[in-house]
Amino acid sequence: MKHSILLLKTLLRSTSARNIYRYTTDRKKRRRIVGGTVGVVCLYAMVMAYSVAMCMGYGSAGLIDAAPALCALTVSALALLFTFLKTNGYLFNFKEYDMLMSLPFEAKTVALCKFLYMYVKSLPWYLSVSLAMLIGYGIFARPAAYVYPLWVALSFFLPVIPMLVSAFLGFLIARVSAGFRKTNLIQTLLTFLFVLFCFSLRFIIEALFRDDKVEATLKTVSAMTDSAAGIYLPAKWFSDAVTMRAPLDALLLIGVSALLFAAVFQVVGSSYRNINSALKSHAAAKRYQMTAQKQRSVTAAIAFKEWKRLTGSTAYMVNGAMGEVLAVLLGVATLLVGFDRIVAIVTQNAPFDAAILQPAIPFIVYFLVGMMATTACSPSLEGKNYWIVQSLPIGAKTLYQGKMLFNMMLSVPAMAISTLCLCVSAKVPALDTLLYLLLGLALCAFSTAWGCVCGVRHMRLDWENEIEVIKQGAGVAIYLLPNMFVVMGLTVLAVVLGLRMDHRLLTLAFAAVAAALAALSYRRVIILSTR
Amino acid sequence: MSETVMLEIRHYSKSYGGGKKAADDVSLTVMGGDIYGFIGHNGAGKSTTIRAVVGVLDFTEGDIFIDGHSVKTEPMACKRVTAYIPDNPDLYENLTGIQYLNFIADVFGIGAAERETSIRQYADQFEITADLGGLIGAYSHGMKQKLAIISALIHHPRLLVLDEPFVGLDPKASFTLKEIMHELCRQGTAVFFSTHVLDVAEKLCNKVAIIKHGKIIASGAMEELTAGHSLEETFLEADGDET
Repeated sequence: MKHSILLLKTLLRSTSARNIYRYTTDRKKRRRIVGGTVGVVCLYAMVMAYSVAMCMGYGSAGLIDAAPALCALTVSALALLFTFLKTNGYLFNFKEYDMLMSLPFEAKTVALCKFLYMYVKSLPWYLSVSLAMLIGYGIFARPAAYVYPLWVALSFFLPVIPMLVSAFLGFLIARVSAGFRKTNLIQTLLTFLFVLFCFSLRFIIEALFRDDKVEATLKTVSAMTDSAAGIYLPAKWFSDAVTMRAPLDALLLIGVSALLFAAVFQVVGSSYRNINSALKSHAAAKRYQMTAQKQRSVTAAIAFKEWKRLTGSTAYMVNGAMGEVLAVLLGVATLLVGFDRIVAIVTQNAPFDAAILQPAIPFIVYFLVGMMATTACSPSLEGKNYWIVQSLPIGAKTLYQGKMLFNMMLSVPAMAISTLCLCVSAKVPALDTLLYLLLGLALCAFSTAWGCVCGVRHMRLDWENEIEVIKQGAGVAIYLLPNMFVVMGLTVLAVVLGLRMDHRLLTLAFAAVAAALAALSYRRVIILSTR
Repeated sequence: MSETVMLEIRHYSKSYGGGKKAADDVSLTVMGGDIYGFIGHNGAGKSTTIRAVVGVLDFTEGDIFIDGHSVKTEPMACKRVTAYIPDNPDLYENLTGIQYLNFIADVFGIGAAERETSIRQYADQFEITADLGGLIGAYSHGMKQKLAIISALIHHPRLLVLDEPFVGLDPKASFTLKEIMHELCRQGTAVFFSTHVLDVAEKLCNKVAIIKHGKIIASGAMEELTAGHSLEETFLEADGDET
């Protein structure tokens, strides 16, 4: 226990911005920490505002009783997905593994502390959602005084079970992959499959309900939330504990979290060293035979280097290419099932003509393709290897151009395939399809260049674990969240304006704006490269 | 030299994917007070063996004993008496040097007064005391190496395992480390280290093992192994015989 606390404290301190700010003599670094902190506070404010708004929406519709379950489900879903995306980098494949394992720590202690570290680091995000929803709930439901401290206390336990489930799944994937020669590839494939499963979970649950002929009970969002909480017991325990004053439910949430924690780390600890040994060992290369070599341009060479960097890391691959994979899958699924059917599934058979969504096709595709721009984290990912490009006779401008080229090579084909599939399935006329492709291209260019602005402005080379810049980096956060919310808004705007305006004119206008923004962002990248 | 067997590697083998053996039936014994050199080409299996010794790398064949305890079944007992300095130490870059040393001292339960004395002594010897308040991320490679060495010494290990310890050290620090290794040896501590620098190994070690393609091709006391020749000649001869 003493060792666990000591290690956890050291892990937290070793990545604490406060520690760096206190001891660094580099003023630029200090300024960057202050800027990063301000940025993160703004993001917290955005997340909280969104959560309060969601809760108030429930309140206005007279469904405030479903808010606790909604809160529990939202926090759990976020914890499940985000933990899964981070597990590979935090529990396995971390660079100080040799140092820690050579010290008198049990393998179980190291694994456990790495998990607790992940929990402490992500807890503020989950608390910001939960506490914001408590504010909304407090305004509408006016609950008894005991609800407030109980809600706050149980919020600390809400993410534990989904985080443990995700960590255990990550462990199983690592364990299975460790048995293969191409460990990294297998791990990436299994991780992709699980994330896709998570995304399709909602539809699977709905299909289950349909089979049971209880579709009618899901007609309101409130009923759906209740049903989901019925399936996911920790959400029900949380909801019942705060709304029905059920101490047993509160104890169940805490007790099951603790028991699961102990059980998971008993299992993980037993083969932790074995898995890490396999993951850190690289299969002996076959004897290389010299063959004819190819010459590439400098930017193409950088883009190729970026490709190898992406495919060499499961964490980077899953976070950086997930949107592209989802976009292509959406396109293929639409082609197979039909545009109208997909719209019906997503909107739960809402009574409207699916054709009105056509002007939003480029934004729907971009929502996935532009979910993450590799340029938002690739400057930071150079890390300790930055000296390589710094010592080469290439300027920062060329380096960033290579990185942008790579993101375009990744996003444009996925955008084109997805857009074409959606357009064919929705029977969009050829000229409109061409314009949608043009808008998609402009959006990809904007995403690439804007991502690069974020990535360069918030470049951080002194990371301990690549997940710190891939998943939690300021560059990625500043790119990702506003981009996501703006695209959601633009999707609605495209549909609304599409009802009043000529689709072609509207698409051209959007494309012109996106291209202008891309050009401005690109110009900004060039200016930043000269500094 | 003491009579205690501090490190015993018995028929240790390690295979990676594709069935290629990185270490193949490696056996050697390091007594307390030995300075044991482990030499071989790049990729010969030195670091793989060392990482298995310090409990970082899992292995299936053979066993490794430290002070009579099996690395496989009693890893904690082994780690409590061992210190390891990797060739390229990955330290917590956002901790200060002194924070890192305190972390290691806490792990080994070293009292406040004792750690202060040890840290002061070794930090002065390596001329790094003034830099201990700075972030490790701002250190040069050599300074990080010095810090890793100090962290290994402050808990008075009975077995010191070093992977290429002289790489990146300035001449004075190299000299200091050699002096410390001699001093530890006099106190009965066993030192096991890998190196490419045969001159250093020849002058420093009383025993040596040569590894090639994962197999020990020669091992024993320095005088017996070299038999009047230089270690370089002995190494090249053994290397040539194997080829």
